[in-house]
Amino acid sequence: MRFLMMSMANDSQPDEKLFAEMAAFIDEMTASGVLLATGGLEPSGVRMTSVGDEITVTDGPFAESKESVAGFALVEVRTKEEAIEMCRRFRKIVGDGVSVIQQVFA
Amino acid sequence: MTDVHRTVDAVWKLESARIVAGLTRMVRDVGLAEELAQDALVAALEQWPATGVPDNPGAWLTAIAKRRAVDHLRWSERLERKHELLAREPEPEARQDDVLRLMFVSCHPVLSAPARAALTLRLIGGLTTAEIARAFLVTEPTITGRIAAAKRTLAEEGVPFELPEGPELADRLSSVLGVIYLIFNEGYSATSGDDLLRPGLCLEALRLGRLLAELAPHEAEVHGLVALMEIQESRSAARTGLTGEPVQLHEQNRGRWDQLLIRRGFTALLRAREVGGPPGPYVLQAAIAVCHAQARTAEDTDWAQIAALYGALARVLPTPVVRLNRAVAVGHARGPQAGLELVDEVADDPALRDYHLLPGVRGDLLRRVGRHAEARSEFHRAAALARNEAERAFLLRRADEVAVDETDGPTVGEAAEDFLGRDDLDTATVRSYGQTLRRLCRTVGERTPLAELTADQVTRVFATAWGDAAATTWNRHRSTIRSFGAWASLGDLAAGLDRRAETRPRTPSLTPERLEELWSLDVPLRERTLWRLLHESAASVSAVLSLDVEDLDLDDRRARADGTWVSWRAGTAQLLPSLLGDRTSGPVFLADRRPGPGRMPAPADLCPHTGRGRLSYERAEHLFKRTTGGTLRQLR
Repeated sequence: MRFLMMSMANDSQPDEKLFAEMAAFIDEMTASGVLLATGGLEPSGVRMTSVGDEITVTDGPFAESKESVAGFALVEVRTKEEAIEMCRRFRKIVGDGVSVIQQVFA
Repeated sequence: MTDVHRTVDAVWKLESARIVAGLTRMVRDVGLAEELAQDALVAALEQWPATGVPDNPGAWLTAIAKRRAVDHLRWSERLERKHELLAREPEPEARQDDVLRLMFVSCHPVLSAPARAALTLRLIGGLTTAEIARAFLVTEPTITGRIAAAKRTLAEEGVPFELPEGPELADRLSSVLGVIYLIFNEGYSATSGDDLLRPGLCLEALRLGRLLAELAPHEAEVHGLVALMEIQESRSAARTGLTGEPVQLHEQNRGRWDQLLIRRGFTALLRAREVGGPPGPYVLQAAIAVCHAQARTAEDTDWAQIAALYGALARVLPTPVVRLNRAVAVGHARGPQAGLELVDEVADDPALRDYHLLPGVRGDLLRRVGRHAEARSEFHRAAALARNEAERAFLLRRADEVAVDETDGPTVGEAAEDFLGRDDLDTATVRSYGQTLRRLCRTVGERTPLAELTADQVTRVFATAWGDAAATTWNRHRSTIRSFGAWASLGDLAAGLDRRAETRPRTPSLTPERLEELWSLDVPLRERTLWRLLHESAASVSAVLSLDVEDLDLDDRRARADGTWVSWRAGTAQLLPSLLGDRTSGPVFLADRRPGPGRMPAPADLCPHTGRGRLSYERAEHLFKRTTGGTLRQLR
């Protein structure tokens, strides 16, 4: 099954060590066939709201930056527990914060 | 399972390959390494519920397993040598290529294909025996036994934990690829049961393939296999309809194809091309899959390119199935008639005898060239051969869709039924006739009008079904067909079939010199008597062994056995009285010992005087073979 993991932004500034550890982690997860896609997201982005016929597009950044998604990973695992384990490893590298894990249905 | 158990299980599946590989490097025995790793798993299951899951569960498992391994090595006699090894390998942390070594071991050609698949899922995938058993639809003890036997074989054959090199590499690698693809296909198309997909296995195979691609990046075929699996898997949602029926590639909703997997497939194929070299079977199959994936609609499919790729594939992998697929591609690229010609080239291949796709493909091509009646009959044949319900229903629907003028008169199937239903046939004959006619129906199609059945078709059925059969089998089927033809007033359906000479390969009798030698040997009285009697009577071994004392007419030197007379001459007559002694009834030839309580023979096979049983054929044969190297029949 597939899970999408989304991690919220935190205040810490990434350093060289974190980049190196992340790169190694991503390599390893790709090699084991678990990680299908991953990426970081721009902090601002645009917001689109649809009400009736009306479409409103608002440019970011938005106030509650802690609730905005900073990065995602799409993983293919056997169970939810495996997804949680992957996420646990990820959080050990990037530090405190919140991630959301949701199963992706085809 | 509790949450902790599920976590342990998840960690285990992610880590087990590296743990087992690292331990194998230490102890040089896959079976032992896996047991040690299992010990660590058990420890985790015992401790984690109380202590909580450790910060780095993988490292925890590795550390425990390593400690067990060191304990084991200390305990074992080869302590010193291992110290040396340990000094050289201070960390059991697997090197990246240790997992690759483990794959080469678990897919080693000394193991049978099912054993390779089971062991690979166990060692690399970290699956439990129960999970493997469920995936392959066999019982758990079957898998347990299969894995235990595989480990034993690896130990006995001394399969080394190393990377094959030079010319060996290609063979060993193709074995690994074969195992992964077998696992994938097992999941992709369940061969029995009502479920068309067992997706868990596909996922395992994909993971194994992706892992292998990272471990052996310079092998084009590895990337080819990964590309092939990614793209096949990309269609998994689209290849079954709402009721679980198969949806053919050209009718699939391409919007349901998984673009992410398709892109991964493209990338993998590009990596294969970068490695270079002449394309192997997996690269070619992947290239074909990519061609399909690139077409936005079925009509856009580049059939000319696909037909060319199949042509190349048929050169490196000339299997009947590949040639059949090539025929399909050519049927699209150059028209149904061209495809039909290629199908007919493989139609009589015995390997495709029970392959439902052959009549399925043929039916489709026949329909397109307008030979509707034949097409319909082929679809019925295909349905009869299909191995799951969904496909059967689908093929029957295709048969019904072909517009055919209903023909008068009985079909082959109906005629066969009537022929077998006559009341002048005994059961054995019906059974024997039935075998022949069922095969006939299955191969020509039971809906084929009887009037269209020709000797030519029958000849082809025979070549495909019984071309390699023994002469007696061939002749039995041939005479069935002849009487069926006569009964149905179709003339001699066996016109194209020669009766085969039934030459039974006779073991030559012993020469007089050898016999003299035999009589002069110092062997026990029972054997001496039995051999003499067999030689002098020329009776069958079982008849002679069935003799009872009361059957013997010592004066006339003969006995009644199995409805015939067994008679002997002076040599036996001399020996028999001593062999019989005071016995007046019971078997003439007795076993050496009394039977055990669990293996009590029938009363007729027990000697009332000694309590011993009748000498068995196997034992008698064994004793003769041990003495002479030949078989008792040679005494005749």
